[in-house]
Parts: sequence; structure tokens; C-alpha cells
Amino acid sequence: MTTTAASLVVGLDAAVRSGLDALLLSMADDEFVLGFSDSEWTGIAPMLEEDVAMSSLALDEIGHARALYELLAEVRADGRDADAIAYDRSPEDYRHCRLVDRGRGDWAMTIARRYLYDTADAARLEALSASSWAPLAELVAKLRREEKYHVMHVSTWLDRLARGGDEARGRLLAALATLAPDAATVFTPLPGETVLLAARVLANPLAEAEARWRASITPDVVRLELPMPPPAASPERGRLDHSDAFRWLWGEFTTVRRMDPEATW
Amino acid sequence: MTDPLALDPVLPRAERSRLPFNTAASHGERFDAFEAHVVAGGKVEATDWMPDEYRTAVLRFVEMHANSELMGVLPEREWIMRAPTLRRKLALTAKVQDEVGHAQLLYRVAEDLGKPREAMFDDLLAGKTKFHNVFHYPTKTWADIGVIAWLVDAAAIVAQQALRESSYAPYARTMQKICWEESVHIMHGRDVVVTLAVGTPAQREMLQEALDRWWAPLMQMHGPRSDRSKDRDLHWRIKAKTSEELRQEFLTIYVPRVWEVGLTLPDPLLGLDPATGEWRYSEPDWDELRSVVTNHGPRSEARLEFRRVARAETAWVREAILAAPRAAA
Amino acid sequence: MTDEAVRDRGVGTTEAGVLEPFEVFRQEKDGGPMVHGGSVLAPDPLLALHYAREMFSRRGESVRLWVVRRADVHELDDPDVLAPPLDRSYRKPGGYVMRDKLAAARERAGTSKPKARGKSR
Repeated sequence: MTTTAASLVVGLDAAVRSGLDALLLSMADDEFVLGFSDSEWTGIAPMLEEDVAMSSLALDEIGHARALYELLAEVRADGRDADAIAYDRSPEDYRHCRLVDRGRGDWAMTIARRYLYDTADAARLEALSASSWAPLAELVAKLRREEKYHVMHVSTWLDRLARGGDEARGRLLAALATLAPDAATVFTPLPGETVLLAARVLANPLAEAEARWRASITPDVVRLELPMPPPAASPERGRLDHSDAFRWLWGEFTTVRRMDPEATW
Repeated sequence: MTDPLALDPVLPRAERSRLPFNTAASHGERFDAFEAHVVAGGKVEATDWMPDEYRTAVLRFVEMHANSELMGVLPEREWIMRAPTLRRKLALTAKVQDEVGHAQLLYRVAEDLGKPREAMFDDLLAGKTKFHNVFHYPTKTWADIGVIAWLVDAAAIVAQQALRESSYAPYARTMQKICWEESVHIMHGRDVVVTLAVGTPAQREMLQEALDRWWAPLMQMHGPRSDRSKDRDLHWRIKAKTSEELRQEFLTIYVPRVWEVGLTLPDPLLGLDPATGEWRYSEPDWDELRSVVTNHGPRSEARLEFRRVARAETAWVREAILAAPRAAA
Repeated sequence: MTDEAVRDRGVGTTEAGVLEPFEVFRQEKDGGPMVHGGSVLAPDPLLALHYAREMFSRRGESVRLWVVRRADVHELDDPDVLAPPLDRSYRKPGGYVMRDKLAAARERAGTSKPKARGKSR
């Protein structure tokens, strides 16, 4: 960022800042939690070359999370940095969506979840690409370019599993069935969304982005004869109520930091 | 590859320029010509003729190296989840990813010598082939991660740099790429260590304790002293330096850097002899080394079992990837 | 192939159902040559490209990548064919040494060596 923290938020009124806070936190937490789950494959993925590929995807997500937390830190301007936001909260205060709020699962679960997430994220980023708030528009432009490879890679795997014989297809369908009620939670309505729309920080409502998402995955879904994900169950709670799997994850990723929150690592 | 015998020979057979290429020569002649070529610094490619002794020696050497990169992922992997800052998480995940990448590069080299990847995994997991001692030990704290990333990688890089001129060219080229990537790992490790060294008393204590535990395996890592004249890997120029030369190089560069940040090393004899310019140290426990590399180390069996389970759990994926109808790019 | 050991290279034919090696060529910078970097095992060219990107451009060190099935690479390494032994200096700059002749020509003409061109690089 070439602008100073103060100048970034000049001209944003309190309501917009509040909406932006919720938006950035939800995006950052999505990337952070997904990146953690997927980095569990590092070293033990099905094939060596694929191990390197999946690790890159996980690394990208953490990198995106970092960029989003950093932007959020500047919006909040309360002295806390990106690490403090990422690590120093209790589990209930994370705002990632239910789609990513689960354990790593098997390879089919990982691919199914990634496919649903990466395609949904692409639609979400598209809704932000013309944001009136320049720092967000700039970051989103970079994220979209990075996510291109994610969609390429994970679509390839969706195809391989869907057409890779009975066991692979069976596992993929089972994973998609498990994920079905949560698939669309990336588009959970955000507090302050109307304010962000009015300020043109968000170009289109998330509900519209969801419709675009469904249209974008239709060719794959039809070609591979997979079920189209239904609307999210309990959509208003799409980013609340976290699982035991997430609590376990939280315990792991905060373990060193909690030894001494004041220390530098 | 064109068989020269199929062409109308311009030169009589005995005068063909490269005897290993000359199928009319006796095995003895080809062996001698190959040996002379290698001893004089010549390089060997995967598609070249080579005596079985050479092929077996290179394969064994590369396979152990590949196994070590693969198993070396496991001690650090546990801490990827627990990295205490975003930057550390990124750096550590990238480092471990690089190790997997190195395993890929090395298994590819070994495969091209004739042993399929799955056979190498079978042998590793059945305990028939080995991996380096340091990867058989537990990682108990975040400080272990710093110590490993700095000093284990440093010891490895000292060995790897000496392999960049290996007679087996595919291996040499791989070493060049690996050394380039490893240099970043050492910096990450040293950064973690120095950060802890200037941190809280609890952090410094954690760091010193980790170093005290890791020093013995580090000293054993390059292996016992060997007789240069009897070392076949040196003879074939697969490697260029002896264990002791590598150990001395490691001590020369890194002991001063450890002392520089106020850390101590648990060896009262450790020091540079000004008369000889060589480092003196307490004799490492070679029995411990032997025991550990034959899979009796503290974490040997647990880690092999972890890999066996992971491999079994993902077998269906490998079958699926080969079953799916092929797609064009 | 003329070696003695049995060489099961562990990879099958191009038919369905095998992982095969793809050679990876990379371009370091715009306008540069495609240089061989190594190989990846993959079930098909598409995943081979993804894996080439992972193995040879994680640090953004390549601007372009090619993957070629190893089975499609043909090799020539016979030195008799590549570097035949008779003199071929007529093909190289080093084969044209004129220093003594030029000195003789200058002496006869009473000229001196022209000043070296300005170092304008």
C-alpha cells in the first residue's frame, strides 16, 4: 500500500467502515481457515507432484488471508496488526463460512470443498472488482489473478474424480452431499451489506453473486452429472456456530502464541 | 538412439571414439573406458551405458537422499499448524513444500535409473532402505523448528553443495536447483532462532534446550569418518568430499554463528585447534547413529507408520487418476 | 538401448492408466531460450502443465513452460556424428588468424594500426 493508514479510511463514514470490517473479516477468515485445512495435506498428499500443488493452493490462501487481515487492520486503525486479528480471538469470534468450517476430510472432501469455495470466491471477488474503495479494488484485482490457477487446478480434479471410476465418483458424491447445506454459505448476508451497496464498495448484492456462481458452475455440474448445491440451510447463521473440528484447529494454531501473547515470534 | 553398428562404419570398430558407445567392445573395455571417463571428471547421463556397479551405487545414494527429503517433511509438518504468526506459517509451509519438491526431483532421478517410485516407497516403508538420522527424532517445541530449519538444513546444504559436481549429471543438476532453494530455508531458520534468542527468558530457555537436544544428532549427521581410498562413492565421483570434510565445513561456518547469539553447545571439547585449523569435538555416538538409521530412533516407527497409513488412505486417488479418461491440455 | 542391466523404467506406454514422465522446458525471461529444467510424472499433458508450474515456477522463476512427453523426445548423442574429428575451423571465427599478415601489410604500406573505436558500450 502506498497510502498511509489514515488516508485509506478518510471519507469512509462509520457505517461503511463497520460494513467493510464485517466483509473483510469474513473473507480473511474464509481464506485463513481453508488454508489451514488444506495445508494438512502437505507431505502426505496422494502423489508427490500433487502434494506440491495442493501446498501452493494452501499457501496462496494464507497469503490472501494475510493481505485481507492487513487491510482490515488499517480500516480498524486500533493498533492491532494482522497477526493479532488472525490469532487473538476466541473460536466464536471467527466469521468464516460453514463450508470451510470442518476438518480436512479425505481427498474427495478436499476437492469438493475447494471446488465449491474457489468458484464461489470467484463470484464474490467479481462483485467487488469494481469497488468504489480503491484499496479493496486493487487487492481484489490481484486476488482474482491468483485464484485463476486455483479454479483451473481444482476443476481438473473434480473432473478426474467424477469420471475416475466407482469409488472416486462415490466419494465425490458423498462429499458433495455432506457439503450441500453449506455450499452457498460463502454468500451469507453480511451485516452492513446495504450500506456497502449504497456506497458502491460492493457492486452487487451477495445474493446476486450467488446466482452468478450457480450459473458459472452449471456447465461442470451438468457435464459431470453432479448435483447442483441447494440454497444454504439457515442462511442467517452461515458464518456463526462453529464446529468441534474448528475448535480443534483453533487450539492448534493458537498453541504457541498463547504461551506468551506479548512475545515476538 | 542410433546404433552405430547399423551404419556403414567410417572408422574401424576398434577406433570408434567413445568406447562405452561401442557395443563391439568387451565389457571389460567398456568398464575401463567408463571408469577413466568418470575419474577424469566426465559426466554420465540417464541414457548412457553404465556398469551395474555405478548404476547401483548412484541409485542407492539418490534413493536415500530422496527418502530423507520425504521423511524430513514429517518432523516439521506437525508445526505448520502451530506457527505463531502468518509470516511464519507461510515460510514454514513453503519450506516443507520445497522439501516435498526436492523429494519429487530426487525420486525422478532415481526412477530414471530404473527403479519405479512405488517400489521405492514400498522399500522405505518396509524398512529396507534408509533415511537420514535427524529425521528420526521428535520435534518438541517451536524452538526445535528454528534449530532444524537452520542447522539441519545447513548441515544438509554443506553436503549438497559438494554434490553439485557429481559425475551423475541428472543428480548434479538437481543438486544445483536444490541448493538454490535451500539457501532460503536456512535464512528462515536462523531468523526464527535469532528472534527467540532476543526474546523473553522463556523463549531463550526453550531455544537453548532445543539446541542441547539436537546437537548430538547434528554431529552424527554426516556419518563416521571414512577412508578416502576405500570409499566407492568418492571413487566414482558420485560425491566429492568425505564425511569428515563435510563435518569440518559445517562446524567452521556454523559454530561461530551459534555462539554469536549467545547460545552454548553441549560439548565441552568443541573448539577450533589453532595449530591444525581443525575443529576438535567429543566423538559422536556412532552406535546411536547405527541404531537410529536402522529405524530404532525415537520416532522412526511412528513416522513410517504415519506414512503407511497416509499412503493406504490415498491409494484410491492414485487409482482414480489413472482410470479417468485422458483429457487434452 | 545398449546396456546390460534390466531397465524397467517403471513407466508404461502412452495408453491409458499410467503416470508417465513429461520433460519440462522453461523460459527464464522474455525472449530467452526454452531450457530443460527436469521432469514431472503425470497422467496427461494438462496435469503435467500444472505440475510443471509447481516444480519450476513456484518462485515465479519462469515466464513460459513447455511439457513434452518423454516418449516424444528423440535423442542423438553419438560424438562421431555430432563432433566429427577432422578440422572444421573454417566454420569458426578462430579459424581466421590475420595478425601477422596485417602487420606485414601495414609495414609495406607504412601505415599504423587504426585507433580502437571509442568504447561506446
